[in-house]
Amino acid sequence: MNVPHSSTTAVFWDACKAGQLKLQHCQDCDKPFYYPRTACPSCGGTRLEWRQMKGTGTIYSFSHVHLALGGYKSWEAEVPFTLVQIQLDEGPRMLSRLVGKAEESVKIGDRVTVAFTEREGETLPYFRRTG
Amino acid sequence: MPKLNQDVVIVGTGETPVGRLHGVSGVEIQAWAVRNALADCGLTLRDVDGLVSQQPYNLPNSGYCLTVAEYLGLRIPYCATLDIAGTATSVGMLQQAAWAIETGHCEVAVCVHGENSVTGRPKDTHGFALQIFAGGEEFEAPFGPPSPPAHYALYAQRYMHEYGTRQEDFGAVAVAHRNHALLNDNAVMKKPITLEDYMASKPIASPFKLLDCSIPVDGGGAVVVMSGKRARKLGLKGIRMRSIVERVTHNAMVGGVAIDELGLEPAAKELMNSAGIGPEDIDVAVVHDAFTISVILMLETFGFAKRGEAGDYIRAGHASLGGKCPLNTHGGLLSQGHFGGFLHTLEIIRQLQGKCGRRQVEGARIGMVSGGGGIFAVTSGMIMEGPAQ
Repeated sequence: MNVPHSSTTAVFWDACKAGQLKLQHCQDCDKPFYYPRTACPSCGGTRLEWRQMKGTGTIYSFSHVHLALGGYKSWEAEVPFTLVQIQLDEGPRMLSRLVGKAEESVKIGDRVTVAFTEREGETLPYFRRTG
Repeated sequence: MPKLNQDVVIVGTGETPVGRLHGVSGVEIQAWAVRNALADCGLTLRDVDGLVSQQPYNLPNSGYCLTVAEYLGLRIPYCATLDIAGTATSVGMLQQAAWAIETGHCEVAVCVHGENSVTGRPKDTHGFALQIFAGGEEFEAPFGPPSPPAHYALYAQRYMHEYGTRQEDFGAVAVAHRNHALLNDNAVMKKPITLEDYMASKPIASPFKLLDCSIPVDGGGAVVVMSGKRARKLGLKGIRMRSIVERVTHNAMVGGVAIDELGLEPAAKELMNSAGIGPEDIDVAVVHDAFTISVILMLETFGFAKRGEAGDYIRAGHASLGGKCPLNTHGGLLSQGHFGGFLHTLEIIRQLQGKCGRRQVEGARIGMVSGGGGIFAVTSGMIMEGPAQ
């Protein structure tokens, strides 16, 4: 897909390549946030540092996708898969996808952990259900 | 609170056929809608000195208002392109026109949107890429299909979890909209549907089925806005804009806020308060309905139904013609057709003008239009008042 990265967002994607989920943390208001920005969306602060997350959280919402419009070419063969919003234990919510096929047993509140997945030259922070 | 001039009125509407307009370009559709709107109130292009246009989403170009003005041969003192997002833009265009008239830039402004988004779609594409609507592709495209249904579905699933909304409630929305569309000759969906048809329609992105999703069409609509002074001179009965609101919280799903943080609730309160009315005073309403969840959320946020009870409200017939407050009487994006949201605004104006024929809400005087854009990212709304019928 090769969406271009800025010098700020590249830090996130490079960390994924190294198997780490890193989010920015605002030193002015002491809050983490996602997605990467050049200023904190809570207070406008620009004293930001990158912190490694545990990569664990819960499913905040989900959708089993049966019709893949756009996206990676290979997706049409992968449906149904599950698009998720993850509530990270450390605070921010992320939009992501569960690895593998959609499973009817998925529900809001299920525990998940990050599962880095290689696709077309990118390493993507997908998630997997645990327990 | 935004102040609206009490002496600016809406006097005419124009709509093109909707559906597949083969061989008609985007600018031709917009010009067609403008001509129809002017004819509706007995004006000609010579009377127009202001133009507000929303550019087509399929093939946008910069400076689109100039493209339309040039095509129509307009040499005018006020022209602007406006795109807030989705159906929120239509209310924004009326506001822009009212401000331009109020500040003396022009006296007669036409607002227009239209596009050949179905027949004019680039080859080998299916639907729109979400980045066209909502940006944020760097942190969205790698995970989901970059198209709207799955992203709205995330709000729908969460809403079911928080408020107990059921699949059948979404189905009630789909059926009610189809029933209204059957009374609109310019609606693309012509067949009645039942709850059983809805439940049997194919899955798209859970909890959404095919009949939860609006139907993309080509089409155009235009509205004529005028100073009250000019309208009185011409003997035209105008529709007043009593209150207007807009609230923004995010754009794409990656920035999507929690349901109780959405801009809908503060928008609804401000809209009603600034008009000095409540939901019980509204005779007819049109709300965003790109997906069935939108209607549930709007009804429950604007105070027509309690949280989790919009399905019951619809099944009781309150949102249907003859009910407490008929909703989306034209069939909406779900069953008339979806190209932006301007036909919503046209419908409320025509209801207040008493021009809706067999789907007319008898005696309609106070109307509400609410639009949305992005993934519940922006809410806009307007309360309008018609002359006593």
